[in-house]
Amino acid sequence: MSVIEELTAELAKLPGIGRKTATRLTYHLLKQPAATVTRLAETIRAVGERVHPCTVCGNLSEVEPCPICADPRRDGSVVCVVEEASDIGPIERTGAYRGLYHVLGGRLSPLDGVGPDDLRVDALRSRLGNGSHVREVILATNPSMEGEVTATFVRGVLAATGVRVTRIALGLPMGGELEYADGVTIARALAARREMGEG
Amino acid sequence: MELTALTIRNFRNLAALDVEWPERGAVIIGDNGQGKTNLLEAIYYLVLFRSFRGVKDRELVRFAEAGFFVAGSAGHRVTAGYEVHGARKKVTVDGAPVGKLGDAVGRLLAVSFSPADRVLVAGGPAERRRYLDVLLALSDRRYLDALTALRAALRQRNAALRRGLAEAAWAFDEPLAHAAAAVAAGRLAWVERHAARFGELCAALGEADEPGVAYHLHRGGAVDAATVAAGLAGARERDLRRGMTTIGPHRDELRLSLAGHETRWVGSAGQQRTAALALRLLEAESLARIHGTNPIALFDDAFAELDARRQERLLSLIGETLPGQAIITAPRDAEVPAALFDRPRWQMQGGRLAA
Repeated sequence: MSVIEELTAELAKLPGIGRKTATRLTYHLLKQPAATVTRLAETIRAVGERVHPCTVCGNLSEVEPCPICADPRRDGSVVCVVEEASDIGPIERTGAYRGLYHVLGGRLSPLDGVGPDDLRVDALRSRLGNGSHVREVILATNPSMEGEVTATFVRGVLAATGVRVTRIALGLPMGGELEYADGVTIARALAARREMGEG
Repeated sequence: MELTALTIRNFRNLAALDVEWPERGAVIIGDNGQGKTNLLEAIYYLVLFRSFRGVKDRELVRFAEAGFFVAGSAGHRVTAGYEVHGARKKVTVDGAPVGKLGDAVGRLLAVSFSPADRVLVAGGPAERRRYLDVLLALSDRRYLDALTALRAALRQRNAALRRGLAEAAWAFDEPLAHAAAAVAAGRLAWVERHAARFGELCAALGEADEPGVAYHLHRGGAVDAATVAAGLAGARERDLRRGMTTIGPHRDELRLSLAGHETRWVGSAGQQRTAALALRLLEAESLARIHGTNPIALFDDAFAELDARRQERLLSLIGETLPGQAIITAPRDAEVPAALFDRPRWQMQGGRLAA
């Protein structure tokens, strides 16, 4: 196998990239200056060598603990539980959350071989143990069946700790239109309706 | 509902077919193996986006081809394409790709009659559950969603049970109970509403032996989620031992009977055919009532095994319930009732149609 074919094959293993895109990327790289290609290769190597899960929350980071866990300005009384480290970015970008995170590393899916022992649930429980400042755990797993089941499961495990457990709301997207929303979403939004306060 | 145009590419033995359909449909004559059933299967593919013979998409692709494509116009234009590479399926309605297959299911409506339908009556309970599931999925989007959720929850729970992951299995009890209750409730309500009509249709087809139909909930089954959840909780030990979920609508039965005994066991071949025809006619009536339009009737050599008297009765019922378009296939003219020749007669040979 030539090195061109080898690179195409490696790229084609990435999610969302098929054979055609992999070929296009390979030939694009071949046209770039050597320095650009080297920088990309070095960055990929650095990511593999330097990035590790934070031992506290499971977020991916070059430092230990991760910048979020280490930041004294973060609110240590709230922990937001997500399935994957990649779920932290979207929440951070909202600027609406100042608490800490906990990455489960997946969701309950026995079909994919993921059981309770494969999730970082024990690590979460120990974070809430003696001397903990955590008063609330927000379950922000995905609104899929497996995500819901995982949230229910984590709630069960945390029941004994006495910490307040909440679930992020499900409902209609901002800027969306009722007419185009699917039935399950509308039904959930109706079930989770709230009193309208003044102002 | 009328199919006006149909395009087929590389579907089973049909390499390329472009057909303009007459308003009343057509009679298609051809020897076995020429592609008559494949043609009907292609049309029905646009109803459910899966084969009515229950085979995988991959097996519908013409030998050595990369995929197949089927498109039909019946008010809406519905297309379905499948690529072997990556097992990708793409469905569009009026030119727009659909996100979920459920959004396109039932845009085109058809009911298929075939001698193989006898298995609906003579076969195991799974055949009759599938009959109800297809009919109700085409009738009510909420049923389809509940059925999809039920299957997903069952797969996950059973996978956990097989691996002995008890806690993971119980975690799926809640979504499973909700979906199971909705599916059982949908099936039970339909059967209760249509049981009397089933008897009438059987009688009209010449059945004199007290035909009946009833939906039986399996032990622990229920139409409310709380009861199903309690049933699931009570069956945990057994489920774990057997490595499968023993409570739920996947164990229920649609029971057809003659004078109180199961038609599956006591019915003669002729009686079983009669019951199967009645189920198909009932399907057509039920879909027509809900959608406000008659489904397209597909008759795959459906008259061959019927005696003259039963043929005549069936024809008169078809005249009432499926007065619209019909596509009729048979190996010989003699096996099509004369009354149905009020539509063009085409020949099918080697996957091609000729007038």
